[in-house]
Amino acid sequence: MKTRLKVFFPLGLLVVLVLLLPITVMIIASFQSADGSFSLENYHQVVSTRYYTEAIRNSLAISLVASVISLIIAIIGAWALTRLAPKTKNILISLFNMSSSFAGVPLAFSLIILFGNAGIWQALMTALHLPRTFEIYSLSGTTLAYTFFEVPLGIMFLFPVFEELNPEWKEISSVLGAKPMFFFKKVIFPVVLPNIVEVFTLLFANAMGTYETTFALTGNSLVTIPTLIGTLIDGGLTANVPLACTFATLFALVMTAIVWLGNRVTRSKREVKA
Amino acid sequence: MSPKASTRVARGIIAFLFVYLATPIVVTMIYSFSTSWVKTILPNGLTLKWYSELVASPEFMAVLLRSFCLGLLTTLIAMACFLPVVFYANVYNPKVKSHLRFITVLPFTIPGIILVTGLIQLYAELPIPKIIILVLAISLLSLPLTYQALDNAFIGRDFRAMFEQALVLGDSPFKAFVKVIIPNIRAGVLVAMLLTFTSAFGEYVLTNLLLGGNFETLKIYMYRLMRSNGQASSVLTTIYFIFLAFISLILILIMQHYSAPHKSTKEGAKK
Repeated sequence: MKTRLKVFFPLGLLVVLVLLLPITVMIIASFQSADGSFSLENYHQVVSTRYYTEAIRNSLAISLVASVISLIIAIIGAWALTRLAPKTKNILISLFNMSSSFAGVPLAFSLIILFGNAGIWQALMTALHLPRTFEIYSLSGTTLAYTFFEVPLGIMFLFPVFEELNPEWKEISSVLGAKPMFFFKKVIFPVVLPNIVEVFTLLFANAMGTYETTFALTGNSLVTIPTLIGTLIDGGLTANVPLACTFATLFALVMTAIVWLGNRVTRSKREVKA
Repeated sequence: MSPKASTRVARGIIAFLFVYLATPIVVTMIYSFSTSWVKTILPNGLTLKWYSELVASPEFMAVLLRSFCLGLLTTLIAMACFLPVVFYANVYNPKVKSHLRFITVLPFTIPGIILVTGLIQLYAELPIPKIIILVLAISLLSLPLTYQALDNAFIGRDFRAMFEQALVLGDSPFKAFVKVIIPNIRAGVLVAMLLTFTSAFGEYVLTNLLLGGNFETLKIYMYRLMRSNGQASSVLTTIYFIFLAFISLILILIMQHYSAPHKSTKEGAKK
């Protein structure tokens, strides 16, 4: 018992100090009015102020589109990765890992060089006498930016799943007379689907929580839930920490629910298998 | 599709993905070497001027030193918190692992921007140096990386027997752990340390919002340069990228060096 306590003490202390206590305080603060009494005023503001609902809509739109597109590319990419030689696989996984840690300020800056007002893309469009069609600081530009870290992340999550699929299954089913389409629908799809759902929830949650890339790319001109929270914490005169706590509480609750549901889909499948 | 054709398609797809993900990085690199590159398809000329300017500036070294210290402290704390727990869970009580799994989804349910809100609400008025809170919070958010890398290190060998023999021979648990366990999992520990260090070295959200930009680390400096001096920022971004590439190279080498014997034991177990 004593050693057990010693083993868990550092981690336990860390979790209490910088996770449990702050999150508890944050939830309590979200229910406090300006004079400190209990109220739902903050929550009312979140749903009734147009600027705030716009942040929620933007976040949902960018995250949904970015995670769906990235998921599709990641499925194709992870499949392609399983067909390569083992040594190449390891190297590529490290490269995908690296490119997902390039997210944030460096990514935003690179995209501005590429697609910004004085960037190469615009120069190319002008040279070819084509109209300016694409604005990197916009909703669609931000969505594009998200795919640069969501795709590698999706591949890293999906690759182990695809790698586990047994090639013998295909032989067996074709010996038994199954057509490739039937095999895909009845064997591969049911095995892989729960994992795809889980990866989708993770990509979606990751996009919803993205602050650095959005902020570095658009400043505060495009408002999403994370950049709004950033302004509410950091904004000098307009700072309103209790309201930031309300947004953060809502965010944590919804994301925990979504990720938990995504996890359950695969968990129940695993239990059936066992 | 024949297997050969499908391999060719797979190679094509990976090549396309590679180009897509690498383009912004390559463009930034070229930008950092160009005299000026505004509203033209190709840069006007090439130069190393921006590199010598940035590296010579006193700010640059100070920024690197700050980020390095942050990375080092975070790595030490993350290891101190997780090594004993992952060891215990793997060797004595695998049931604990299912409880630890919540940690792996933590950055998705409570990302940095949410955690920092709680931290500010709790610690803004308390007389605790914010830098301590910052290091602890970054350690917490890097735990999934640390956990996964450490957890992989314990696959495939009987550490319990090793540990208990050392205890029978009269070592204290701590000594036995350091002398017997650590040398056997050193590749995993090294991978975990490198990943943790890299994530802390490039941290932005917590550092910026918790300390209000007073503690200028690599990414905060990069953001400030990006708004004022594009050339200098592209140099810094390129250096950061080379740093990431270097770390990845080390990781690949470690994996290739240690994966060969590992695989044979796995296959042996299967037979």
